[in-house]
Amino acid sequence: MKGLLIKDFRLMKSQINFFIILTAVTVVLAVFSDNPSFVPGYLPFVMSVFALSTISYDEFNNSSAFLFTLPVSRTGYALEKYCLSLILGAGSWLFALAVTTVSGMIKGTAVFSETAAAALIILPFLFISVAVMLPVQLKFGGEKGRIILMIIFGAVFLIFVTALKTGEAIGNDIQAISNPLSGVNLKALFAGAFIAGAASLLISMKISCSVMNKKEF
Amino acid sequence: MIKTENLQKRYGNFNLNCSFEVKKGCITGLVGQNGAGKTTVFKALLGLIYPDGGKAEIFGKNITDFTPEDKEKIGAALSDSGFSEYLTVKDIIPILKALYKSFDEKFFIRQGEKLGLPLNKKIKEFSTGMKAKLKILVAVSHKASLLILDEPTAGLDVVARDELLEILREYMEEDENRAILISSHISGDLESLCDDIYMIHNGKIVLHEDTDVILSDYAIIKVTEEQFKSLDKQYILRVKKEPFGYVCLTDQKAFYAENYPEAVIENGSADKVITMIIRGQEA
Repeated sequence: MKGLLIKDFRLMKSQINFFIILTAVTVVLAVFSDNPSFVPGYLPFVMSVFALSTISYDEFNNSSAFLFTLPVSRTGYALEKYCLSLILGAGSWLFALAVTTVSGMIKGTAVFSETAAAALIILPFLFISVAVMLPVQLKFGGEKGRIILMIIFGAVFLIFVTALKTGEAIGNDIQAISNPLSGVNLKALFAGAFIAGAASLLISMKISCSVMNKKEF
Repeated sequence: MIKTENLQKRYGNFNLNCSFEVKKGCITGLVGQNGAGKTTVFKALLGLIYPDGGKAEIFGKNITDFTPEDKEKIGAALSDSGFSEYLTVKDIIPILKALYKSFDEKFFIRQGEKLGLPLNKKIKEFSTGMKAKLKILVAVSHKASLLILDEPTAGLDVVARDELLEILREYMEEDENRAILISSHISGDLESLCDDIYMIHNGKIVLHEDTDVILSDYAIIKVTEEQFKSLDKQYILRVKKEPFGYVCLTDQKAFYAENYPEAVIENGSADKVITMIIRGQEA
């Protein structure tokens, strides 16, 4: 796995300019935005998408066939992509959190516990998003995978909007839906979200391993 | 080192079904036309595709049971695939170091310099020859016991081809227990390298012979129609009609040279033999 991770980081090196811009944007947003709490929200998602781009690199010029002649198992390859996504996602999350916290402390606009709590709830969603994206990308490849992911996220968005509208139509506004949640212990909510995120990752890993084991190169 | 028995794979109308063996200390060639099944055999051996039937063993172990540790003992090169072309040779070194316990970094860098492979240039900017040399260098740089090389000489000029074959000879000289399975659609490439050659056509092995025997005992006999009528055909393997008469393939050159001095007899070569086996008819 170490060899594959090195390969992917070396491949990403060619996109170094994009990383520099992304870092600069993160710092600028954290310093100048009135509500920088969304920074730890967007950066990990953008970074985890980079893990997907390495799959496209592997497929380019049929390179993945050669990769599996190396001491690499199909399962090992799939798991490495999860590792990479989580390293990039969690790493950028920590970075964004640090920048936002420091900026908040300097400006005196936020306390660490509040920023951390807002950022913490992002992680389960990051896990779920990685859990959805990776098997699709491994199964359908770079190009097709991207289209299918767009359809999936589009469908989820549509379902969400439709549910919201339907809720409003029958008189249950969002407040009514979220009211029962206010009674729930916040810690339990976080724990539940993390368990759901971790479970989705585990299921997704199993699917990805099965996808890779069926593939022929 | 490698043993296959009725190794099968089906793709539409194409059916691979072949048995062959690569022995310790030997360089075995697999020759055949484009689409004959060479790459399918290599992919099956390397676990890139799943066979539909038969058996394939490497180091006495079924290929379906191969682990990454087992794969460390194999050096492979594929004709249509390699490291991502967005990497440089310098990028590849730490990758190989992490993947192979026996990766010899000094050897890799030294040989890379000798072969004129720039360390900091992206592979996509390499010439065909440089890409081929890099593939072979990667395969020989981790003390593998077996090399499986699919068309490593494809598209190379004579000098590059010679350099490449030289690397393979040096690899074999280092340890007599090593072996190489190598394929080419230009079988002439392999005559100077291989101990034995398998010829594959339409997914089947049509001939297996020691290279020395092909070069010394096989021959192409060119005769007129009159000469053909009186030709003893017991050692004729294939016949092909030509405008001037007949072209025949034999594995008993000495017999015909002695008994038919008037016939034109050309020494055998892997290319000529495979052409006759494929295009000729049984005598």
